[in-house]
Amino acid sequence: MSLRGFIAALTLLSAAVLPATALAHKESDAYVNLHTDPANPNALLGQFDVALRDLDFALGIDSNHDGNITWGEVKAHRDAIERYVLPNLAIKGDGLTCQITPTGQMIDAHSDGAYDVIRFKALCDKEVPDQLTILYHLFQDIDPYHRGIISVYARGQTSGAVLGPQNTSTTLNLNRPDRWRQFKSFVIDGIWHIWTGPDHLLFILSLLLPAVLICVRRPRTLFDPGVWQPATRFWPAALELVKVISGFTVSHSVTLSLSVLGFVNLPSRLVESGIALSVIVAAFNNIYPLVTRRAWVVAFAFGFIHGLGFASALAGLKLPPVAMAVSLGGFNVGVEIGQESVVMPLIMLAFVIRKSSFYRVGVLRIGSWIIVAIAGLWLYQRLFDVTIPALAFLTPS
Amino acid sequence: MRRLLLAFGWFLAMPCLAGQETPYVPARDDIVLQTVASISDPRVRAFGTLRAVLNQDPHDVTRAVKLAEAYLDYGRDTGDARYLGRAEAVIAPWLSHSPAPIPALLVHATILQSRHYFAEARAQLRSILDRDNDNAQAWLTLAAVAQVQGDMRAARQACAHLLTSSDPLIPGACLSSLNAVTGNADNAYRVLTTLWPQARAEPVAVQSWIQGILADTAKYLGDEAGADIHFRLALQLTPEDNFLLADYGDFLLDHKRPQEALDLLKNESQSDTSFLRQVYAEVALGVPQAMTDAQQMASRFAALEVRGTRTYQREQAGFELFVQHNPHRALELAQQNWTVQRAPEDMRVLLEAALADGKPEAAQPVLDALAMTRLQYPIIVSLVVQVKAQMAARPPALAVPQTRSAASVPGRPGG
Repeated sequence: MSLRGFIAALTLLSAAVLPATALAHKESDAYVNLHTDPANPNALLGQFDVALRDLDFALGIDSNHDGNITWGEVKAHRDAIERYVLPNLAIKGDGLTCQITPTGQMIDAHSDGAYDVIRFKALCDKEVPDQLTILYHLFQDIDPYHRGIISVYARGQTSGAVLGPQNTSTTLNLNRPDRWRQFKSFVIDGIWHIWTGPDHLLFILSLLLPAVLICVRRPRTLFDPGVWQPATRFWPAALELVKVISGFTVSHSVTLSLSVLGFVNLPSRLVESGIALSVIVAAFNNIYPLVTRRAWVVAFAFGFIHGLGFASALAGLKLPPVAMAVSLGGFNVGVEIGQESVVMPLIMLAFVIRKSSFYRVGVLRIGSWIIVAIAGLWLYQRLFDVTIPALAFLTPS
Repeated sequence: MRRLLLAFGWFLAMPCLAGQETPYVPARDDIVLQTVASISDPRVRAFGTLRAVLNQDPHDVTRAVKLAEAYLDYGRDTGDARYLGRAEAVIAPWLSHSPAPIPALLVHATILQSRHYFAEARAQLRSILDRDNDNAQAWLTLAAVAQVQGDMRAARQACAHLLTSSDPLIPGACLSSLNAVTGNADNAYRVLTTLWPQARAEPVAVQSWIQGILADTAKYLGDEAGADIHFRLALQLTPEDNFLLADYGDFLLDHKRPQEALDLLKNESQSDTSFLRQVYAEVALGVPQAMTDAQQMASRFAALEVRGTRTYQREQAGFELFVQHNPHRALELAQQNWTVQRAPEDMRVLLEAALADGKPEAAQPVLDALAMTRLQYPIIVSLVVQVKAQMAARPPALAVPQTRSAASVPGRPGG
């Protein structure tokens, strides 16, 4: 190709060679908002915002061609705009089409310019249904990259979708099932948070170890094992443990909720160090018991700081009040399930081997020493911002 | 879970938008609500003519491509991205043909690339070149896309394919823009200066392109005065060029000339990219308008996020860092942006965000890329020094409380 021909072919040259900077505006959007009508259970009140820029391109509403669209020109084209825009939106309630009628015209200032607002009413055959299907085809023929941003406000909840030529319809559930799915997903998050958080597990484990034994004589020194007797029956031991876990649950639920809702905000270094300290205290109490009867008090007290730690998993969560309650509830339940699933098998195992000296010495004493050591290293790491590579596999995620 | 939430732009960003706009009824009929393209503009009149020509023979792909290119040029000149979609609509009927006509595919590749769908654009260009290995437009576009993706080898190969044409201007500029970011900026500047007299005979778009590369090359060489001259020359040639305005605006801000940046951009506030630089300038100057304009900019980003557009992540990362003082979010955006584009400005924002968020290890991909390209841009060199110092100050991969300050980062309003 000769240079002349080449340059002529390069009509797109400037666009071709500067791909790195974004164009100046977002592309074309329109917004459809639907609200339930407090006065009429069969109706939805709608607002359809379409950019004047787009309407001018499609219909030519700048009548005098001066490059300025005035309110007078927009009003003069109201009929034409409604006849052009509204047939491209269909609302179906449980499969039945709702009748759309325009009710007013206004203007809305969006971040990229002025939009014509078509107010309308959608009248459905029956009460606003459980499932709302929205079909959207606006500007499909003149701009395949146009998007319709749909928001539905019904029964105290908000849902929405982004529609375009590749995705012309959406079905929104206005009823409970979504909440249930949301709840479940947070339960699973909670379970994983416990299973992948060795510090929380070690804290519970430390409280669990002595539950199958009764301290007959406290140790007099650090190296005195004291005298322990195996618990005679399983259920009292289990009950003791239930108390421990419940105390822990109550307090961590409180701080978890306060923290996620933004009422409490402690530096994570402090919280993480506090958690490490709690593990040390719980494990040390097995070596040199200070609290033997009411272990649940220890669990309850340190639960507050663990709750703040759990909250880190939900940091940044912002939801409407009901959805927030569902999510927090779900997460708490998940944390609980995660704990029980670890504790229950272990307490049974501990009960079986409680009479052996291996349990009393190897598990309770040496095990507790190991826990103190690990948690001590955590505390050192977290307080002084250092890393201990050998500990990486035990570093809570 | 956070990532899961991010995937649904609507859910995250909609609450920021909802209730922000309140519809109103304008007080008088003569109130101007919106300026639009007017037929007093010859480019807009040409749309009508080209459309009429196309309607006479709707099956003629050349006529459709002419109209689509007119839309793209206009969209680029005015910065109005809506014209990308309008151009796409014009060629859409041919894209479903098999095989699709090459001119229509070229337009489509340009649209994909403008939307930062670089991988898709490359695939499209590859398929064109499989059928027509001498397509200069495709090679040039491929060179530009590969370069912005940081694939310097593919970019160099694409530029080399242009050398077969008898004239050195286009391949020279292609290779120079590549050399400018791969440690040969001196050489690039010399070559471009030599080529310049020849470019004078070309259309202003080509002249402005050459001056733009010269400006960037001078900038990478740390030659402030030289870059300034080339930016001004380019803007004289194409005064409304949205890309140049943003580029020159950044340059002025980097060299502590916010008042000049504000003067340059204050009439361009309809453009998101110009408006962003205007906000930076206002913040740097400490003018009262900065607050409201920053909010306005935030709502523009929210509107983009709702529709799922990710084209502006580089810009948004900078905004989160220097205006919203949210280095954590800035780093997330800069990292996502890095998966899409790897130009010097993308390196820079990732370095800046990693530094400000106290996670120097997050900038490792940039250090790796720089080891390959050996870019000499002084601003990046100094950021790299800071990142390495921060890395040395403490071992990597350690969760620590973050230093939430952008004050140590040079060249942008902040602190």
